[in-house]
Amino acid sequence: MSVDTADNSTVRADGQHNSLLVAQLREQFGGQLLHEQGTLTGMPVLWVSRGALVDVLTTLRQLPEHPFEMLFDLSAIDERLRSRRHGLPESDFTVFYQLLSVSGNRDILLKVALSERDLSLPTVTPVYRNANWYEREVWDMYGVRFEGHPNLSRILMPPTWNGHPLRKDHHARATEVDPYEMTVESQEREQEAMQFQPEDWGMQRQSESTEFMFLNLGPNHPSAHGAFRIVLQLDGEEIIDCVPDIGYHHRGAEKMAERQSWHSFIPYTDRIDYVGGVMNNLPYVMAVEKLAGIEVTARIQTVRVMMSELFRITSHLLFLGTYLQDLGAMSPVFYTFTDRQKGYEVIEAITGFRMHPAWFRIGGLMQDLPKGWDKLVQGFVDWMPARLNEYEKVMMENSMVRDRTRHIAAFDTANALDWGVTGPNLRATGCDFDLRKQRPYSGYENFDFEVPLGSNGDAFDRGQLRIEEMRQSVKILQQCVNNMPEGDYKADHPLTTPPPRERMLEHIETLITHFLQVSWGPVLPANESLQMVEATKGINSYYLTSDGSTMSYRTRIRTPSFPHLQQIPDLMRGGFVPDLIAHLGSLDFVMADVDR
Amino acid sequence: MTYTLTRVEDALAAENERYPLEKRERVDDPMQQQVHRSVFTGKLDEVLNSTVNWGRKHSLWPYNFGLSCCYVEMTTAFTAPHDVARFGAEVIRASPRQADFMVIAGTCFVKMAPVIQQLYDQMLEPKWVISMGSCANSGGMYDIYSVVQGVDKFLPVDVYVPGCPPRPEAFLQGLQLLQDSIQEERRPLSWVVGDQGVYRAEMPSQREKHRDRRIQVTELRTPDSI
Ligand code: SF4
Repeated sequence: MSVDTADNSTVRADGQHNSLLVAQLREQFGGQLLHEQGTLTGMPVLWVSRGALVDVLTTLRQLPEHPFEMLFDLSAIDERLRSRRHGLPESDFTVFYQLLSVSGNRDILLKVALSERDLSLPTVTPVYRNANWYEREVWDMYGVRFEGHPNLSRILMPPTWNGHPLRKDHHARATEVDPYEMTVESQEREQEAMQFQPEDWGMQRQSESTEFMFLNLGPNHPSAHGAFRIVLQLDGEEIIDCVPDIGYHHRGAEKMAERQSWHSFIPYTDRIDYVGGVMNNLPYVMAVEKLAGIEVTARIQTVRVMMSELFRITSHLLFLGTYLQDLGAMSPVFYTFTDRQKGYEVIEAITGFRMHPAWFRIGGLMQDLPKGWDKLVQGFVDWMPARLNEYEKVMMENSMVRDRTRHIAAFDTANALDWGVTGPNLRATGCDFDLRKQRPYSGYENFDFEVPLGSNGDAFDRGQLRIEEMRQSVKILQQCVNNMPEGDYKADHPLTTPPPRERMLEHIETLITHFLQVSWGPVLPANESLQMVEATKGINSYYLTSDGSTMSYRTRIRTPSFPHLQQIPDLMRGGFVPDLIAHLGSLDFVMADVDR
Repeated sequence: MTYTLTRVEDALAAENERYPLEKRERVDDPMQQQVHRSVFTGKLDEVLNSTVNWGRKHSLWPYNFGLSCCYVEMTTAFTAPHDVARFGAEVIRASPRQADFMVIAGTCFVKMAPVIQQLYDQMLEPKWVISMGSCANSGGMYDIYSVVQGVDKFLPVDVYVPGCPPRPEAFLQGLQLLQDSIQEERRPLSWVVGDQGVYRAEMPSQREKHRDRRIQVTELRTPDSI
């Protein structure tokens, strides 16, 4: 597939383009389009009738010009307690489908209203393959059935779980119910329930000539990168089929967002892609700022970019070390962790924390850069390039690494878009789609850097590309050191949280406001907003729904690694077990970024 | 010093029995009791015990087991800048059967808990557990439906390392504390020699030990410069 990116900026600037699309859909589907909702998401939001859903999606996917190739996200909202719905169609549960057109660099969001009495929808897996896991997630979390789904079973919660956690009437806290208790019997029962049954997945236990072996890899396996399980159907060493099993790392972050204030949810975002640090704060605080209508200063933007890029480097270094270790090289991890330590020295001096600084704030930063920060960052910038060259020479030019990774688990752009693959894994296929270029945010348009591309989309390209990305990030850091703008580290806005302290001391009114904002948290206007960023592993986005209170009504976190894992069986059929290990290493995922 | 005594046979439990299965009993130092019996065998026992413990504590093999973010800091402790080999604990094992201790590094999920128990059961005695990070200690910031509020709800824990995540240095300190407590342990020297109970020393609380020194601090460094 060819992706033309030449006119992206013009397409994007062109709001007309969107209204043309909506007009065209209106013409074709008439009364089936129930409502067009105005939001701060930056894309058309259309309510469609249940009956027309599959047709509308099919049409959008097959548009002659700039089709929506990717199902970017699919989830739901429990609307039963939402008070400010501003004339939206009646609904108890709303399922939404977010589509992305890479060729047209645009998005669209479709919503379908469901009544509590009839929670079912047709599956859209025939149109978008990757809807499979998302629909299972909606079933698991909300109890919405998808008719015709190949295997609608729980995905995040244990198979023995009762209830659907994201429903408003499901408990949030563990301490609201009886304390957890494990008996000899319950342990056995749970283990039993986790047994893999090939028949559930339509698998044969044997073929005419051979009996298959089922190999259970995980949920704790050294090269599974955390609590991830994948069951392999093997004929000798050849993988006939495989079934990834996730949910061993589900920390309920989306439910958590519904009970924390807008401000106090920030630390939870750090722990989504837990090696991405403050990179995770960025989409969240930017989405909140959209709701609040806050514009931040150039200094805030640049500091945010600098810290995010520092974390991109430390994350990629972790990737590189473990990827090569999975391939059998023992020493790289010692080198890359030495570099990570250098990175953390800078991060710690600036933010006071290593892995989870939670350093960005609504409308600014936790504090200004400390004196002497520039020397520290410069030191890191000077240190990295020579190391990167060395890694490239010693590791990527190593013939064993090449033999293990070239043409392994290769996929092309069309396949990637089909599965919802983003980030470096998508760019390794040669597709030039990097949000920092395509939809610059937080001032990325002011930086001079390139977007490295691969060509074969194999395990090797995915490794090589990340080394190149680190070089570009170093380049961005250098520009931050050279051109750090002057200015405030907090935006001048009543919803900036926490508010500037100096003002609090002026008179009683500001003191009260300060007190309320810090104790209860800011109240954000009722609306919906969305922000995507190019995170370390792909596109990460936060879709916030505010009901005009101190807490979010619904926070949807779209993480890149979830679709990356869903794609595995499609690539591994016919491969060998060591190829799977190489592929897992090259994907760069952490389980918190999958299960949230 | 006071000890807690556990016995192997207590681990054979009925269906409805709750984890952790072992029954604990507080007793006095077993060595003291023996010294009263015979001075000579008491001394011999002590020498043998501390030699064996010395060997054990300096060759702890960790089980390569990680749950979430804390695991990253744990692995950091295993790499060059922190170098866990200084404490004789660098031989990471991928199989629980070959490992001496397990670090619960990360969040203990309801879906994962039965698996953790299974892996723990597969480890051979003598075995120890370090709970690393707030999540494993108490559920931490995740008081949420899918998280067990502390791994000690079902596993016996020897050392708790606080932090979210604890720095690699904190993990190394936890490891040293485990070593200290292993030095004080009394385990049967063989399955035919002597008392078959496992006596674990009750180690002093670190918080109390350091409190006086810590509250001396009156001025904190400003975060405005590096
Ligand atoms: S204690 Fe903190 S760092 Fe450790 S696993 Fe829990 S959330 Fe992650």
